[in-house]
Amino acid sequence: MSGETLLEIRGLTVGFDVPAGRLPAVAGVDLSLRRGEILALVGESGSGKSALSMSLVGLNRGPGAHIGGEVLFHGRDLVTAGERELRGVRGKDIAVVFQDSLAALNPTQRIGDQVAEMIRAHRKVTRGQAGRRAEELLGEVGIAGPAQAARAYPHQLSGGMRQRVMIAIGLANDPAVLIADEPTTALDVTIQAQVLRLLTKLQSEHGTAIVLITHDLGVVAEVADRVAVMYAGRIIEQGTRDEVLFDPQHPYTMGLLSSVPRVDGPAVARLPAIAGNPLTGVARPAGCAFAPRCPFAHDACRAEMPPLRRRYGGTAHVDRCVLDDAARTRARGALEVLAP
Amino acid sequence: MTGTWWLVVKRLAAVPLVLLALSTMVFVAVRTLPGSPATGLAAGGSSGTSSAADITANTAKINAALGLDKPLPEQYATFLGDVVHLDLGSSFYGGNDITGLLGDALPATIELTVAAMLIAVLIGMLTGILAALRRGTWIDTATRAIGTVSFSLPWFALGVLGIVVFGVWLRWLPVIGRLPNALDYHPLTNFVLLDAILQDRPELIWPWLQHLIMPATTLALSMAGFITRIVRASVLEVLGDDFVRTARMKGLSPGAILRRHVLRNSSLPIVTVLGLQFGSLLGGSVVTETVFSYPGVGNLLVNGILQRDYPIVQGAALAIALLFTLVNVVVDLLYLALDPRLRKA
Repeated sequence: MSGETLLEIRGLTVGFDVPAGRLPAVAGVDLSLRRGEILALVGESGSGKSALSMSLVGLNRGPGAHIGGEVLFHGRDLVTAGERELRGVRGKDIAVVFQDSLAALNPTQRIGDQVAEMIRAHRKVTRGQAGRRAEELLGEVGIAGPAQAARAYPHQLSGGMRQRVMIAIGLANDPAVLIADEPTTALDVTIQAQVLRLLTKLQSEHGTAIVLITHDLGVVAEVADRVAVMYAGRIIEQGTRDEVLFDPQHPYTMGLLSSVPRVDGPAVARLPAIAGNPLTGVARPAGCAFAPRCPFAHDACRAEMPPLRRRYGGTAHVDRCVLDDAARTRARGALEVLAP
Repeated sequence: MTGTWWLVVKRLAAVPLVLLALSTMVFVAVRTLPGSPATGLAAGGSSGTSSAADITANTAKINAALGLDKPLPEQYATFLGDVVHLDLGSSFYGGNDITGLLGDALPATIELTVAAMLIAVLIGMLTGILAALRRGTWIDTATRAIGTVSFSLPWFALGVLGIVVFGVWLRWLPVIGRLPNALDYHPLTNFVLLDAILQDRPELIWPWLQHLIMPATTLALSMAGFITRIVRASVLEVLGDDFVRTARMKGLSPGAILRRHVLRNSSLPIVTVLGLQFGSLLGGSVVTETVFSYPGVGNLLVNGILQRDYPIVQGAALAIALLFTLVNVVVDLLYLALDPRLRKA
């Protein structure tokens, strides 16, 4: 899994102008994506995971959006690249599978045309060739009766089918990177499992690197190679899947893990929740952004933002927490953290 | 597809009902107008020196001749019976057959309103899309301001202004009628463009356009301002939709995104508005046709009302209602064609 680095994100910032000022959706992120790996980006709504991934291909460019830092891809910086240059990357090298497939598909266009459009945007093929390839793709993502599905409109398909269509669109040009934004959120559990299996199959067969955006740690446990946990626009913990899930270092990650329902866990009336709310305003505390909600916070936490570096975890395991090893162990005990 | 055809049949089946209700209302409305056709005819008859007694006697005679002395229910039954047989009666003045009059006037009005619609849609779509794409800039502000002004201008004012500027001062355009009187035109369908093609007379087209452009534009401008606003709002809404982001993700150019994704989806509310606005366009054509002495149904209607010529008013109103109803059936079908979600298999 330790292939060459495909995408290198350095000091990425994304700010949006809001009436109260500038909202720091992403407040400085360094992250690299390797060929053929599945990297899970985990966090609550508003943690900046979607803003981060959309800015990789400039999909959140626009009035009031400020994107800084670097996203290096094949020697090019996608943050400063012009729209025309980015159009050549979008859908060809880097594709996105959006959540809410009903809204993400054009309601007035046939499924086959929407897949074929992706192909024709980057390849010189005839309408007929693109249409046939679209049907093949629909078959590849496990849609029974692809020819019929190609002629259907989005509202005529089930949610699981539509999500497969989104994946077929994403894969149409065999991209190096696929960003999957909560691809299983709206689906029921069996369909979720099928879609996840499809993603891992594609990753192993095509060598596609997948950025999997999710708040579902069950999904992470299922398919991820590496995990980056985001809070208030920053990565607060990052490591291999096993490192993060079995040996969480940051109290926020511990909190997330302890709020996951478990079949084999103790029966409780109410799952523990992390107290307080995520930061949503434009103002950010001087120190650790999680300190206001952290039951283990002390003065050192509020002094300055701890850097992201290796402290007590495994070799690839980095975090932004000033607690010492003993305090972390106590915290894990207090939160009754069990790996999912 | 069977579902679609069933919808068409259902929509068309409602047309006679609408017309029945409307003809009843018109029948009653013309008879509640003050004055009667007979008094007008009697007073205006012979040399105008009639005495009061003569007028009364003549009125009774004329009423009997026109069938207006019969009880209203009987008149109504006769009227409905005739309408069913496509006989709209004949004018009280001159006895012209009304079906024949409408055969001349309706194509003229259809030409005028359709031309106005095309101009309004062209202007409204272009400015609306421009304003939406340049949202928040001076272009947006200016477009919306001009749209509001044109939307608020009354037709007769625009028409008179046009006549003064382009007809009288600049002398660019004719100000009266539908075709020059001197022109040798033998109507076949009474649609000039169609006749020009059928009779192979391309020389008809230019004078026809010259006569059509000013009244059509007069009608179109106020509607264009309205369409601008609807198009702008609709395009802005669709631009924020998720599938537009999907289209951007595909790496499509802004032009392709606009053509293939934004326009089709934003046309749904626009088409609905166009159908409803066609009604106000027909209302406006009554005023515009009067201003430009354009020989359409509106002109016929106004003269009919002024002369209390009941059959003409009834016939013209029915023709306008039929046109409006049919346009809205077309709009419903267009809606089905544009939005697959509305087609039930």
